[in-house]
Amino acid sequence: MMSGTVQALAHPLRLSLCEIEYAGNKQLLTINLKLFLTDVNEALVFDPYSKELAFCQPNESSKANELLLDYLDQFFYVKANMQVVDLRIKSKKLSGEGENTALWVYFEIKQTTPLKTLEVKNAVFTDLFFDQNNIVYVHVNGESKSMMLNKKTPVHQLKF
Amino acid sequence: MRISYPFYLVFFLFALCLTSCKEKKSAENDSAVETEEELVARALQIHKRVLTVDTHADTPLRMIEPGFDMAERHDPNETGSKVDYPRMKEGDLDAIFFAAFVAQDIRDDDGNTRAKALCLQMIDSVVASTERNSDAVGLALNPDDAYALEKEGKRAIYIGIENGYPIGKDLSNVEEYFNKGVRYITLVHSSNNDLADSATDPKGTEHDGISEFGSKVVDEMNRLGIMVDVSHGNDSVFYDAIKMSKAPIIASHSNARAVTNHQRNMTDEMLTLMAENGGVVQLTMLADYLREAPPNAQRDSAIAALRASMKPISEMTMDERKAMRASFQELNEKFPNPPATVKHVADHIDHIVKVAGIDHVGIGCDFDGGGGIEGVFDASEVMNITIELVRRGYTEEQIEKIWGGNLIRVFKEVQTVAEQIQAGESS
Repeated sequence: MMSGTVQALAHPLRLSLCEIEYAGNKQLLTINLKLFLTDVNEALVFDPYSKELAFCQPNESSKANELLLDYLDQFFYVKANMQVVDLRIKSKKLSGEGENTALWVYFEIKQTTPLKTLEVKNAVFTDLFFDQNNIVYVHVNGESKSMMLNKKTPVHQLKF
Repeated sequence: MRISYPFYLVFFLFALCLTSCKEKKSAENDSAVETEEELVARALQIHKRVLTVDTHADTPLRMIEPGFDMAERHDPNETGSKVDYPRMKEGDLDAIFFAAFVAQDIRDDDGNTRAKALCLQMIDSVVASTERNSDAVGLALNPDDAYALEKEGKRAIYIGIENGYPIGKDLSNVEEYFNKGVRYITLVHSSNNDLADSATDPKGTEHDGISEFGSKVVDEMNRLGIMVDVSHGNDSVFYDAIKMSKAPIIASHSNARAVTNHQRNMTDEMLTLMAENGGVVQLTMLADYLREAPPNAQRDSAIAALRASMKPISEMTMDERKAMRASFQELNEKFPNPPATVKHVADHIDHIVKVAGIDHVGIGCDFDGGGGIEGVFDASEVMNITIELVRRGYTEEQIEKIWGGNLIRVFKEVQTVAEQIQAGESS
């Protein structure tokens, strides 16, 4: 496998990663999205190398989070026990460098009732690339599952 | 200064010249009489006769897509999917290694436990798929299984692991994966792990190649008969693997750095050592590893002009953003990037053959992991590699080696070494 996404228009591999974790004893649902920064910039401001939003930099734009959440709202959701969870960004970070720089977006949601179902929609960047694939890892009470979501199959529900 | 040559040497050179002139003339005559149609027909016959093995596909990622059915033919231009069983048949692809891939994550006990669970899920998906489609494919565990299944008219499905991360820090996992059917392990992926350094980790080297634990993993792979795969490792990983492994090694999807300067490709020195080692480099269909991406000035200037005409993003309505997205897509379609082609593939093969020899090159397309170029876009088009090789004068015997003979030879040697190690342990 290719090791990351580079120039949005030159690279054949389109991938993102999402990790969702629920620990009943902590009553906490966490979501960690790993998105290639070039894809994020292309999706939000139509320029993979834009410095306008400056994610995680001292000069990060005041509009950065709002634009990101607006975008995610169209292409991504998580439903816990059939209820859409409220996505508020707890933290963000960058990893990697150059064209392989990834933006990690972390969410924490209080989940007081035991998790019976988890429905995930992840069609991020399918508006940019017909062959975008989004790997979703789900870890619930010590058990791990993985699934691949994309334009053709954007939504899947797991039962516990 | 005049140098006089002995008569026999002059005669030998004259005879050599005559022979080579004759061969060249004969080749010219052959190409003059063989039409393109005939060449393609001859190539397709060769493609049908030889065992064709692709050592690297990330198709298990597709298998975890809800509802994805390997028995159905998928349109790669609609879905991006590159491999399914009908298209393997169309392309006369006889055998493939499906790589179970787990993305590198936190290297602690929790992370390792999860990685193992996810890896086992992927392996189980591959096995279940072969069981569901036993009329078309079979799970292959040994080198000869590919030939046996080919005779039955079935595709051979082998299993590999891409990224040693799911081994964690527990050596016994290697045997567990072997028992599940895994026959090669790529030591590392895009980031360093506990086994080895990656060619692409921005943090640079951590173990100076293969770690102490990684060397034990290599020993265990040798003992069990699992091929050691150095693709994705940094250069030191390659040199360490050559020194540590008691059996020949493989690069399941890597190209030649002298042809395309990319850190994932192999230098001429590495190719030479690979030949001395008896191993094999499996050429991959990743555009960026096959050629330097050429500039696309027309598209760049059209896109720059469109950006300059945009109003600030925050002032755009959702409908305006969607319309702008459509305008950008239109430009991308109007000015597509010049693609990598099968000629680039053959350029790499020519180079590896020149440096390492015909016995040390193979094919590992990396379908469903980014692989796929013009002419070899998915599994149904792999015969185009054979056609280009025939066009460049490769013989059937040479093509048989490239398409599978070399890999099967290494696989057998790896098993022989394992038998010797195990026999030594029991005596």
